[in-house]
Amino acid sequence: MSQLKVSRRGFMGLLGAGSGGLVLSASLSGCASGNNAVQSPSPEALVLNAFLQITPENTVHFYLPREEMGQGSYHGLTTLVAEELDVLPERITVQHAPVNKAFNHPEFGMQGTGGSTSMKVSFYPLRQAGANARAMLVDAAAAELGVSPAQLKTEDGHIITTSGERHPYGRFVQLASTLPTPENVPLKNASDFNLIGKQRPRIDGISKSTGTAQFGIDVDLPNLHKAVIIRSPVYGAKPVKFDATEALKLADVAQVFAIDNGVAIVAKHIWTAKKAAKLVSVEWSNVPLASQSSTHIRDDFASALDTSEGEEHFKSGEGVQALQQAESSENSTVVEAEYWVPFLAHATMEPMNCTIQFNGPRCDIWLGTQMTGAVQSAVAYHGELDKENVFVHTTLLGGSFGRRGNLDYVVEAVEVGQAFSKSHPNTPVQIVWSREDDMRHDYYRPAALARLKASIDDQGQVQTWAATRSGGNMMSYILDEVIDVLAPGFLPNGMVDWLSKRGYGLFENWVVDPSSVEGLHEDYDVPNKEVRHVTVDHGMRLGFLRSVGHSYTGFFKESFMDELAIKANMDPVEMRLNHTQSSPRLNGVIREVAKVAQWGKPQQGRFQGIAAHRSFDSYVAQIAEVSVEGSKITVHKVTCVVDCGRAVNPDMVKAQMEGGIIFGLSAALYGEITFKEGAVEQSNFHDYRLVRLAEAPEVEVHIIDSQEDPTGVGEPGVPPIAPAVANAVFQATGQRLRSLPLKLA
Amino acid sequence: MIHFMLNGEPVSTDVPEDTPLLWVIRDYFNLKGSKFGCGMGLCGACSMQLDGVSTRTCILPVSAVEGRHVTTIEGLGTADNLHPLQKAWVKHSVPQCGYCQSGQLISASALLAQNPNPTEDDIANAMSGNLCRCGTYPRIKDAILDTAAGGVAQWEPPGSDNAPSADSVSDGVAQEKSVAGGEA
Repeated sequence: MSQLKVSRRGFMGLLGAGSGGLVLSASLSGCASGNNAVQSPSPEALVLNAFLQITPENTVHFYLPREEMGQGSYHGLTTLVAEELDVLPERITVQHAPVNKAFNHPEFGMQGTGGSTSMKVSFYPLRQAGANARAMLVDAAAAELGVSPAQLKTEDGHIITTSGERHPYGRFVQLASTLPTPENVPLKNASDFNLIGKQRPRIDGISKSTGTAQFGIDVDLPNLHKAVIIRSPVYGAKPVKFDATEALKLADVAQVFAIDNGVAIVAKHIWTAKKAAKLVSVEWSNVPLASQSSTHIRDDFASALDTSEGEEHFKSGEGVQALQQAESSENSTVVEAEYWVPFLAHATMEPMNCTIQFNGPRCDIWLGTQMTGAVQSAVAYHGELDKENVFVHTTLLGGSFGRRGNLDYVVEAVEVGQAFSKSHPNTPVQIVWSREDDMRHDYYRPAALARLKASIDDQGQVQTWAATRSGGNMMSYILDEVIDVLAPGFLPNGMVDWLSKRGYGLFENWVVDPSSVEGLHEDYDVPNKEVRHVTVDHGMRLGFLRSVGHSYTGFFKESFMDELAIKANMDPVEMRLNHTQSSPRLNGVIREVAKVAQWGKPQQGRFQGIAAHRSFDSYVAQIAEVSVEGSKITVHKVTCVVDCGRAVNPDMVKAQMEGGIIFGLSAALYGEITFKEGAVEQSNFHDYRLVRLAEAPEVEVHIIDSQEDPTGVGEPGVPPIAPAVANAVFQATGQRLRSLPLKLA
Repeated sequence: MIHFMLNGEPVSTDVPEDTPLLWVIRDYFNLKGSKFGCGMGLCGACSMQLDGVSTRTCILPVSAVEGRHVTTIEGLGTADNLHPLQKAWVKHSVPQCGYCQSGQLISASALLAQNPNPTEDDIANAMSGNLCRCGTYPRIKDAILDTAAGGVAQWEPPGSDNAPSADSVSDGVAQEKSVAGGEA
């Protein structure tokens, strides 16, 4: 079991000198005062540990270490501390944590949110924080009431005596602050859970249903100015010259200036800035991407697969060589197929935005981000400031799906903010992207082409599984962005360039980026496997999109498994069960989904398709029920079974499966980003279509009852839906659709 | 000067007449609940009721609301006084990221005001102008149907002043509010 790494004493050193209060005066002597400290909610608040503070008025403050972007960390992680502290979650005041190593992600080594890991890495540490805090209050209460701690119970923020008296925790705050801090207090047994595993509305439901939840775009400050940026239609092009004469005639326009990636227009009001932007003409530099169009991409990938064997990512048994034997054997059938997915945009409902204010050596920045710690580093690096003087104020994220894990909208804000602060010192400015900016300047889910080849013996067992994927890699773009900011200073520049996109990088031709091929081979029992990769990159900026590589490898692998089942005259469910004997949990979700969805007995006029995929340590199987009319595919119902270990908040697990399915369905039915002469052709929701309510299927989610530790739910719902639908379409029409979005001939 | 009713109160503004209502409400009247999503009337994040009709305000010049009634999410209900649909949204844990939900609630409340017992098709028609990237549609549908069926009439969010406390549910003993002061 992992333990809370930050002791209360250790955390004290992180607190600001200005916070005052009894605990600090008692404990902070000799400690350096960090600038970036948790602001105490009240001078008398007791700092229980890095995550929890409690006031004499009995208000519990929880510093949320992982950002909330819809996936439910706000409710889910609060549930963990609430369970052990014995306070109802809705009575806890949740605060966004500042940047501080106390809030580092235990696996990332920095403060950030992603990879469907928030619950997984918090399940023990945050419960421990709650349990230690509770013990501290019980000890204080016992001392004050003159009883032994064992005689006291706790319930909903109160100490309960044997005679039934109820005393709010806040009463014991002062005394508790003078007592030793308990460490490693035993956690509750699962049988004693009051909150974990129970149904409860999410605690951010009220603010998000009354318009009071604050997103980055809602940040308001005295004398806040607004900025828009005119960006090059082609990623990477720089402004060579611009003419803002007409724009500057508009009342209200404060400043127009060039930055690295465009021309910024700052005005008092956003509408003025938008109007002014239309009056500015810009000439752009030429970049190689401007000669590329997406019409060639699939062919480029295909010819690369024809001519190169690429790099090996994984091999077991005899690998692809086993196919040669199979090809000459009468008892074997060899099957081969090629699959394609296009580029995708994240299209968060809240477009990118960032608010920044420079005041001498100090910078404050307000935004929603998945990379909280790296934002501080990036501002310090690009703004040439001391990290200690960079204050990151995070808000809720109006969707992210990986997009707000990038730093482009931070780096440009530094440039805009610093330039603006020269004429307007200490004046905050908010950069707001238009939808068109957001759609055309994304880090796209890469397009990918894959060839899969397998041999099946006469018993219907797959003997060889070979897969080669061609396309660009995400990791080199991500590294390119953060490497200057995060790389240790001793790394020579040449190595930095080599690792990232700028040089002939690591992920171009030396090792395979795991994100490019994850999910291509792991799930099924096959004695001979080989996965290879051929990198072809046209220079479109690539990034992580919900479920990352699994977002397409799930489609490749599960469509192909269906083809193999049909070739072997096996039922697709039975085929999958036969090949998951060594993975009882994957086998379990397949068996369960077939049962609850009544596999083989669809409603009249509807057809079923199944897919199953493991990602982010969770196992998900889905059965889609579709009908086809002409070329129109209608998805009526999706039944989903998930094994994510213990479901801390079962209803939120269901919500993530529902959301993942609908997110994945947009990609299955509509999603496609194309570009012409380097410029993205889509611009808004009319040409980048998302599933709307009328097209959303009924979704039924079942959770496997499990005592295993929790694993991811934000992403694992996505990979199975596209192949489940494609497999159902095959049942309906006999057409095997091997490209996304699915289009019937 | 443009005059209109905002959440039941008469207001006026002298901003440029072509300014979309969304930005006027957000940046001049400082009501941030209505969101910017697309700027083309395609996503519904900016929805407000105009004389009871759900309207895309990112493309609606403020001059068009002269003399009319504008209702924003802030006018629908507050944490202390939730509209039945807002209660249903909380009960069903509809929001995920939450960004689109003001617009969803504006469209849903306009629907129920016109049609207190909508069918699933009615809901699909009324709500398909509001995009949700998180995919909360099944819960939006459930929450509207539950509201129409009277399912939230007696329901209060846990922890609210009107809600039965966990204690009184479990053992019938009323308890003090969480903010009850210490006596030290």
